[in-house]
Amino acid sequence: MNMIYILFSIFLAGAILTWVADKISGILRDLFFLLTVLSATTFFYLKIPVGYTTNITLAGLHLQWGITAFGWYFSLIVLGLGTMAAFYALSYMKGKERLGYFYFNFLISLLSMMGILMSRDLVSFFIFWEIMTWSSYFIVIYKGKHVQRSGINYLLFSAIGAYAMLMAIVMVYAHTQSLLIPDMIQAFPFFTLSAKIWLPILFLTAFSVKAAMMPLHVWAPDAYSDSPMAYTSVFSGALSKMGIYGMVLVFVTMISYLPNDTAFRETFAWLGAITAIMGTLWAIAQDDARKLLAWSSVAQLGYIITGVAIGTELAILAALFMAVMHALFKGTLFLVVGAVEKQTGKVKFSEVSGLIRKMPWTFIAALFSIITLAGIPPLGGFVGKWMLYQSLISSNHVILVVAIFFASTAAFLYCYKFLFGFFLGQEEPEIAHVREAPLLMIIPMLILSLLESILGVYPQIIFRPLDAAMQTLGFPATQVHFWNTSVLFNEWGNQVALKPLFYAVAGIFLFFFLVLTIKGWKTTRKVSTKDISTSGEIPKQNENLTYSINFYQPFLRAVAPAMKRRMMTYYREIGSGLEAFFDYTRRLYSGNGQTYAIYVIIFVVLLLLFKNSLFS
Amino acid sequence: MGSILYYTLGAIISFILAFTVGITYMGLDRKITARVQNRIGPPWYQNFLDVSKLYFKKTNIHQGIMQHMGAAFMMVTAVMALLIVPIFNHGHFFPNLNFQGDLIFLLYIMVFGQLGMALGVGQTGNPNAAIGITRGLSQMTGYEIPWVLALVALMIQYKTTSIVDLMNVQAETGRWLMFSSPFAFLAAILAMLGMFSHAPFDIMVAPNELASGPISEYGGKYLSILMSAGAVFMFAKLTLYVDLFMGGSSNLLALLIKTFSFFLIPVLYGIVSPRYRTEQAIRYFWGWPSLFGLLAVIQAVILK
Repeated sequence: MNMIYILFSIFLAGAILTWVADKISGILRDLFFLLTVLSATTFFYLKIPVGYTTNITLAGLHLQWGITAFGWYFSLIVLGLGTMAAFYALSYMKGKERLGYFYFNFLISLLSMMGILMSRDLVSFFIFWEIMTWSSYFIVIYKGKHVQRSGINYLLFSAIGAYAMLMAIVMVYAHTQSLLIPDMIQAFPFFTLSAKIWLPILFLTAFSVKAAMMPLHVWAPDAYSDSPMAYTSVFSGALSKMGIYGMVLVFVTMISYLPNDTAFRETFAWLGAITAIMGTLWAIAQDDARKLLAWSSVAQLGYIITGVAIGTELAILAALFMAVMHALFKGTLFLVVGAVEKQTGKVKFSEVSGLIRKMPWTFIAALFSIITLAGIPPLGGFVGKWMLYQSLISSNHVILVVAIFFASTAAFLYCYKFLFGFFLGQEEPEIAHVREAPLLMIIPMLILSLLESILGVYPQIIFRPLDAAMQTLGFPATQVHFWNTSVLFNEWGNQVALKPLFYAVAGIFLFFFLVLTIKGWKTTRKVSTKDISTSGEIPKQNENLTYSINFYQPFLRAVAPAMKRRMMTYYREIGSGLEAFFDYTRRLYSGNGQTYAIYVIIFVVLLLLFKNSLFS
Repeated sequence: MGSILYYTLGAIISFILAFTVGITYMGLDRKITARVQNRIGPPWYQNFLDVSKLYFKKTNIHQGIMQHMGAAFMMVTAVMALLIVPIFNHGHFFPNLNFQGDLIFLLYIMVFGQLGMALGVGQTGNPNAAIGITRGLSQMTGYEIPWVLALVALMIQYKTTSIVDLMNVQAETGRWLMFSSPFAFLAAILAMLGMFSHAPFDIMVAPNELASGPISEYGGKYLSILMSAGAVFMFAKLTLYVDLFMGGSSNLLALLIKTFSFFLIPVLYGIVSPRYRTEQAIRYFWGWPSLFGLLAVIQAVILK
């Protein structure tokens, strides 16, 4: 029996069983759901080794499924984050409606992502891609009618991407008479020039929709924030990485064979950088935590796209490492928002503050993820950021590196806003009843944030599979022996040794922390957040002085010109323009027989007039 | 094991040096400001008295664990910056764990403490603290642009991201980078004005109306540690400027003269300046200083 069939069967049977069990009992449904995710994950890692392939002939088409080291690397994101989010979902979704529907689509979307990673031919790639779009669409509209608009936006943009991909696939088939991806890669250098240019553009359109690259990002903020948080973590963490997966393939295998690939690379690198900058600016302006994280996802994928587009060995290493880090920290942060939403019922920074004492574990998860997001050493985000900067500098992308640097400096603004908005500030009497989130929600978050910190000191855990993936892509073996010692290298030989840095940071922190704690242990008092002096006054107990309205107003004033134009308005204008045009053409059908007779006469006259040129 | 002890000893000596010099400079700042304003001002050692008085205060209050840790976070940044920036050329006497002095790592570790402190002051619940933090972070996005442009110009011109290598370049050619890369120097100096948050870029601290801005709720031992961290951090930043643009220093006297002359730039510029609003400050940094930074990059690309 074929192992890949079994894996897909587990997912499919599990999804259906979960859906059916929902009609019978809640516990049974949860059990089936969890069992499916766990057994599929275990099965995949135990039974399907890298290099496993199987051939299928379907209606005369030769298809192939299999797993490469590159796909295996991405499977870590999909199944790792998927498992954590599944555990979390059990508790988060408790008491909500239509859970069978939700879990069914959750499992199907995991299945489709694994399918994409295991497709070695374009037809199954496309089919799984569509299943992924549809299953995620169904979860976006899970909350009902009022989120239908976000769902339609998402589906519309995905459709644009899907048509582009379908066209590309037809072109490939016309050229090679084969649908296998390896065949396409081998034949690509011998394509005609126009095909060489159009194919990558069409494929990249499809992939940049999923990776939410500007200007195709407009669906992302709404779709991310309207899905239930347990799924958004997978949506933003893993599903958007499928776009990156495709992009890396296109850039490594196709763009390199273009006669003038720099123009292509520069354009995409800059699109990525602009995505990073604008995504960050919009994230800073949000008051809704879900929207903030959604825009931040758009921005973070911008960095990854830039790295992929630059395409040097170090840049792709950086981009792929950041892809895993992004899955970890953004996955966690969406789970954190979910926990806050579940416990307080609020998601806006202006409505809730001072949760740190009520939800300390959630805060710790959020803190670690934010430090990783900001790229601050000694956590894992720094490794990716460092490699990205080094690759940009050593490949002479001077202005680009400043743009990326600006985006990550500005990211500190929303990082602080996220932590401050939810967890710090004054405690209000309204949140007195709030409890820490259930254990089943805390543990996945803490596991993910623990991974973030481990990867900051031992990035080789990720570098080893990454190295294998890079070799599949045709790069020479990277300097694994250096990675193994936790030392980062750039192309000029400069280095950062992570272990001593971590020990130094930890040592200094502990020393001063102990000094602060021991000194005056008995005379140090903890006071309430109302016990402060503001301009000589002491606030009353019922006054909340937390600063959360117009949080970054001065900054937003300074960057207002950049944020004046929104892509959505352009799309709306195109939409209304098309509507007007169609409305105009509709008038041809006047309903009057005389008019139609005239059309026929005009048609015949035209036919006669151009008879010679048309039929000769 | 012996080398670890040796490095730790070096770190402790550097820390004491940085602390002493930093606090003295802070006192001198107050003295100079006072003399310009035709006041007598406090003695130069006043800040030593302040720090020790605060440290030995009997009662201390804090609003929560993050505030408690905030000062320690700031200290991590200060000491790490000090350890990464080489204090002397051929640092045999102060070996420091300078980890090859990587500039990008330095830029990021600089933020570590500030973010930690920002979280600490956030927990106090004092609105002034959060207002100060938002202003400070916003201003940082402003001066970071010319600063990074200047650094990137140096990096690509000399094909290194290490401070030690940049110092070696200056030792080999015998020319300070402030002369061979004048635009980078200008951009970095203008960025320095924002980095030191003296007037006209002192709205984040706003000593007059925000009650010391971010740290308004800190007192006692916490404030003492924060002030020390500020002094050490300031010294580390000054040494970085000396290393990058004046070829480092070979003895203590040269170090003091060079750092003090850099220190005077924001102080003297600040005394005679009014204050910018945050958005004005940001736009200022994105104007002329960034233009100088761009020129530096163009120079670097041409000369490479």
